[in-house]
Amino acid sequence: MSDPEPAGNGPLIHRRYVFGLLLRLCVNFAGGVGILFLILYFALSRPLPGDYAGVFHALRNLSPFLRPILAVSVLVYALLACGSTSALCVYILHKVAGPLYRMELVLDQYRSGAPMRTVSFRNDDQIQPLAQAFNRWIGTLRHDRQRWLATMKDAERHCLQDEATCRAEMEGALRKIAENLARYR
Amino acid sequence: MRNPALQPARPRIRYVSPRFQGPAVLAFAAIIVTGGAIFWKLVDGKFQQVFLNAAIRGHYAFNSAYDIGRDLLAWHLAGLFAGVFLTGSVLVLLLVAATRHGIGKAVDSLRASADGDLSTPTGTGSIGEFDRFGEKIDAARSETLASVLKIRSEAAALAAGGISPEEFRLRWDELKQRIRRIAP
Repeated sequence: MSDPEPAGNGPLIHRRYVFGLLLRLCVNFAGGVGILFLILYFALSRPLPGDYAGVFHALRNLSPFLRPILAVSVLVYALLACGSTSALCVYILHKVAGPLYRMELVLDQYRSGAPMRTVSFRNDDQIQPLAQAFNRWIGTLRHDRQRWLATMKDAERHCLQDEATCRAEMEGALRKIAENLARYR
Repeated sequence: MRNPALQPARPRIRYVSPRFQGPAVLAFAAIIVTGGAIFWKLVDGKFQQVFLNAAIRGHYAFNSAYDIGRDLLAWHLAGLFAGVFLTGSVLVLLLVAATRHGIGKAVDSLRASADGDLSTPTGTGSIGEFDRFGEKIDAARSETLASVLKIRSEAAALAAGGISPEEFRLRWDELKQRIRRIAP
């Protein structure tokens, strides 16, 4: 049994997901071809007339007769295969499209300045490292914010002493914060 | 007891994102339609010959037209399936590669952001949905960088001194408020 992968280092898209998609596509296309075969089988398997002349004329006239049947059967195949493949695409790709859409909402929420919670996707969703990377970024920002506010609060404590000490401590705290902020570029 | 009408609507999980799934659906549809058209063209052409040849040849040892065209049909159907499935598989692999590339860049960009790099562009590529997503990430990062730089310059200006105590206190409190607004 393989060990669970560390958070944030997992694959963006699992191999199982890709194989599952290919397998479903295979079944889907096989079904479409099967339906096409059935239509053509029923069109072609009508018994030919018993006598020689009847068979001759039937075979001679079969090609023009088969042309619309072939066209309609291919059309039916195309419509069915397109319909089922579209449904399959929507069903399978929502495991990528859903998280992507959710991340877009989260980014909009972040930009609007609204309070945010940790982002998490559904269990079977793909692109999980995206949520983990975003959470790490926001976590780092929050950690830094708390550190800067703590530095300021610490400086404010000195205001219980004389004014000059308070001001000196505050200016020292501000220099420290400015130095800390220098890592952002 | 809570009135369900007053409860906020739970956000719906969206399964359909036309910008992402739409092009994939269209690409698969194009493959299927192209495969069908090629199949129709080939089989129609062959049917025109094979039944005429069988009629002329005589010795009708078959019960139906299916007995004549069975092998032809089987090979062409197998070709249709193989062609459509293989092309579809290539498309799936391309989609997966594009997703890995686009989202991989976004993940790298967010990881770099956690390390303080908020200015390097995400560069998710030119594929519509990922490009738009990368732009959103870049917009969020650049806004964060702008507010961080503003805080930094304000902190540096206050630390430089030469400000009256009243103004200093006022700007100190404003700075605290500004810091509180980062990643609320």
